[in-house]
Amino acid sequence: MADSASPVRIAACGCITPFGDARETHAALLGGACALRAVPVLGREGGDPVPLALMPGRSLDETAPPAWLPALRRLHASVPGGPWGSPGRPVFVTGSNFGVGGLYALRRTGDARFAVWGAPPTCTEELRLELGWGPDVSILSHACVSAHLGLLQAARAIESGLAEEALVFSFDFLSPFVAGGFHALKILNSEMPAPYRERAAGAIGLGDGAGFVVLSRGRGDWALSGLSLYNEMHHFTSNRADGSGFAACLEGVREAARGRSVWFKGHGTGTLDAGRMEIAAASLAFPGAPITGWKGGLGHTLGSCGIVELAVAIESMRQGRAPGTVGAGGAPMAPSVADGSFGTGAFDGVVCASNAFGGAHAAFLLSHV
Amino acid sequence: MPDPLTARLKQLIVETLRLEDIAPADIPDDEPLVGGGLSLDSIDALELVVSLEREFGIKIASSEEARQALASVAALTAYIRLHGDPSRLPA
Repeated sequence: MADSASPVRIAACGCITPFGDARETHAALLGGACALRAVPVLGREGGDPVPLALMPGRSLDETAPPAWLPALRRLHASVPGGPWGSPGRPVFVTGSNFGVGGLYALRRTGDARFAVWGAPPTCTEELRLELGWGPDVSILSHACVSAHLGLLQAARAIESGLAEEALVFSFDFLSPFVAGGFHALKILNSEMPAPYRERAAGAIGLGDGAGFVVLSRGRGDWALSGLSLYNEMHHFTSNRADGSGFAACLEGVREAARGRSVWFKGHGTGTLDAGRMEIAAASLAFPGAPITGWKGGLGHTLGSCGIVELAVAIESMRQGRAPGTVGAGGAPMAPSVADGSFGTGAFDGVVCASNAFGGAHAAFLLSHV
Repeated sequence: MPDPLTARLKQLIVETLRLEDIAPADIPDDEPLVGGGLSLDSIDALELVVSLEREFGIKIASSEEARQALASVAALTAYIRLHGDPSRLPA
């Protein structure tokens, strides 16, 4: 699914990560900073130390209400426009896990206060009340391309005339349940992530993250186009070995990028096979484009990564410099991998891509209006 | 006389993955466990790894290490013999 031409503009965009807001996060990544720290995978219950990036002052363990609520309030305070959730101004809430850690906490403790946070509908309703939204709030979740799905649905709402402006609000905060799940898959382990680097074994890091985008038909300095989503429907935990899923998704955004000089903000979690396939597809679709990935410094912010990293990409275009591929050492998988930061002034736009369990892929083109 | 560790591993594969139509002795020593004739996928591999870690006291650190250990029953036997708790190996 892809749209090569879209009148949709980004009127506002922001994020919050362990480094701070979008500007602070961009500055930290430019400096090669890493927010990942060794944390016992099951929090207070211990377990192997794994690389996690948590909001300052927050522990991995669940609380009721969640300890990440203040971060969402701070983020929402910078959302302009509204009233959100009213007619013509829908909200699309996206995430991979919502408050699923609450379900695990409920199971372990029997404390009913965790229940309301444990499932997307009730968690979102709590947020709707907390943040003062009206009733027009939709929940979308598609693993690590959730934010992209939200952007696509919001763009469709604007293009079809169902919305004047739309807010896409995306978040994912870690918990022992989430970290434990990735640890069980053996991809979250004691090693630090090294996206797009050759090494003997892959490793990812996970991070807290949230972001928002206000999409508008005519207002804003940035255009969002070529929104593409593709699902291989291959297997829960792996992609087709020929990398065709990565290529199919990028085909959808190539038309929008035709004639432009672009750089490529990849997904790059630190897994090996997916990293190689992603680079191969990106190099084929956008020859010569420098490829960069920031999860080595931020951790993988899961369902929110599409918007968190979009916010950093906008800062990169605005300030004329993009962070290179942050992460542990090793030889890059390809010469196109940007080791260090690079100037963005010569580029017309950036292709932002994310990938997810189930062989899901998403991408779009961000460019100046 | 079959190697007791190899025999136990084949039994564990059948039990853990609930392979109803396969007897342990039917599993060849050198056939790939994942992507081979048993039609095991990466989720099956994970289930197997959990059982192996529990029974033999091993710790598989990464998905790549799991892939190597599960290359075949013969590879798995060698891995367990090298990394497993000796007190938990069948006599």
